[in-house]
Amino acid sequence: MTDVDTTAPDAASVLAELERILTEVIGDDLLLDEPLSMATSFDEDLQLESIEFVALAEKLLDTYGERVDFVTWMAGMELDEIIALTVGQVVDFVVASLSGPAPAAGSPAEG
Amino acid sequence: MSRFLFVVPPFTGHVNPTIAVAAELVRRGHDVAWTGLPGATQALLPEGSTFLPATTAEVAAYVDAAGDRRPDLRGAAAFKFLQEEVLLPLADAMVDGVDAAVDAFGADVLVVDQQALAGAIVARRRGLRWATSATTSAELVDPLDGLPLVAAAMHQARVDLQVAHGIAAGDAAQGDLRTSPHLVVAYTSEALVGPVPGDAPIAFVGPSTLGRPEADDLDGYGLDPDRPTVLVSLGTLNAEAGARFFTVAAEACRDQPWQAVFVAPAELVPDPPANVVVRSRVPQLALLERCAAVVSHGGHNTVCESLAAGLPLVLAPIRDDQPVVADQVVRAGAGVRVKFARVKAEPLRAAIAVALADPDLRAAAARIQASFHAAGGTPSAADALEGLLPG
Repeated sequence: MTDVDTTAPDAASVLAELERILTEVIGDDLLLDEPLSMATSFDEDLQLESIEFVALAEKLLDTYGERVDFVTWMAGMELDEIIALTVGQVVDFVVASLSGPAPAAGSPAEG
Repeated sequence: MSRFLFVVPPFTGHVNPTIAVAAELVRRGHDVAWTGLPGATQALLPEGSTFLPATTAEVAAYVDAAGDRRPDLRGAAAFKFLQEEVLLPLADAMVDGVDAAVDAFGADVLVVDQQALAGAIVARRRGLRWATSATTSAELVDPLDGLPLVAAAMHQARVDLQVAHGIAAGDAAQGDLRTSPHLVVAYTSEALVGPVPGDAPIAFVGPSTLGRPEADDLDGYGLDPDRPTVLVSLGTLNAEAGARFFTVAAEACRDQPWQAVFVAPAELVPDPPANVVVRSRVPQLALLERCAAVVSHGGHNTVCESLAAGLPLVLAPIRDDQPVVADQVVRAGAGVRVKFARVKAEPLRAAIAVALADPDLRAAAARIQASFHAAGGTPSAADALEGLLPG
């Protein structure tokens, strides 16, 4: 959806949504060890692979619209930042993206 | 008669594909030799092969120790470790020895594995003709596409390495040590890899390991000729790390209408179901001829040998190039993926059942099989390498 609510979702609702998305990406056994939290890391805890990052980016786009440009955000990361990436950082990124100005209608997608 | 020097890393899957190619070159009247780390690498080569150690035994021990530290790492952390703690130091340590091996052997052409970058440095420095030996297909399509800062940092590390070994900075920044501008021998097919961007001179030759000699002891396995057989293998490097996976796989096979051969140390599968045979080594090519499907970690050789036998795959990639190779198979329609670290018995059982029964998977595997036959294998690789010789 692109007609995002004027009230940006808060971190708790984004975290819940991210858990739903990651369950779709990784499968039902996502929460095998412990519940998803802001401190859960993508590399060490979830062992997310590059192809799953691609799927995550697509689902964030489907869910929140083009203001949540995960691909461009991740393209700005160094290797150590990717290794250390947490669920909390992605939640904060989504919240920050949605609280910014909406893109003008018809503006070209970035990247 | 010309002299081909194979520059290899100390990894079985990267050495094996060179052996048949080298034998074909010898059959055509050329001389061949290998250079790499002393010890394990030499032991992989046929009796009587010429091997020129490129380093001291201490370097080989360092790489072995690094390998022992890696089983816990996955994803980006494993990538960082492989690049920074293994491949770059390995290249640095091998340059002088490879250079000496070129002189000692009188090499005309270097055949350089993508994980033995010292060969590329020496070839560039000396102005020698060289081929890239892409013993896994993961680097043909850049896995760092979409992560430009990471790709740039890796490129810079390889530039710095060249400069440290006497290549001018401007020259070092050109091209890529992983991709020879003269020839890239890829032991796969375009039908499996998909379109490759760029203009690298790639010769897709298909697997070269299909004729390797094996000790066929299959008659001792007690396999039922009327039941479909599934090979379950995590390759040579990962068997020890697979304790959980093998336990799950044994449960997945229990009481099923198929039988399975696990390539694993016996202690990792202590109480196998009646329809599971466990062997620490198998004659894989002969066994694949009797199999109907394969469960694999996505190692390039096992995947290509399975597809060369027309077999669908269940893929449980662990790290490194394996997720990329697994993704190629899935996109080609010849396999299904499961999660190595998390999969449970029930979904793994379902995945095996699909691999055994689904006609679309089998048809796709047959298409890849045909593409491998058309690629020509070992003779095609030798043709391409002979093409590098002057007039």
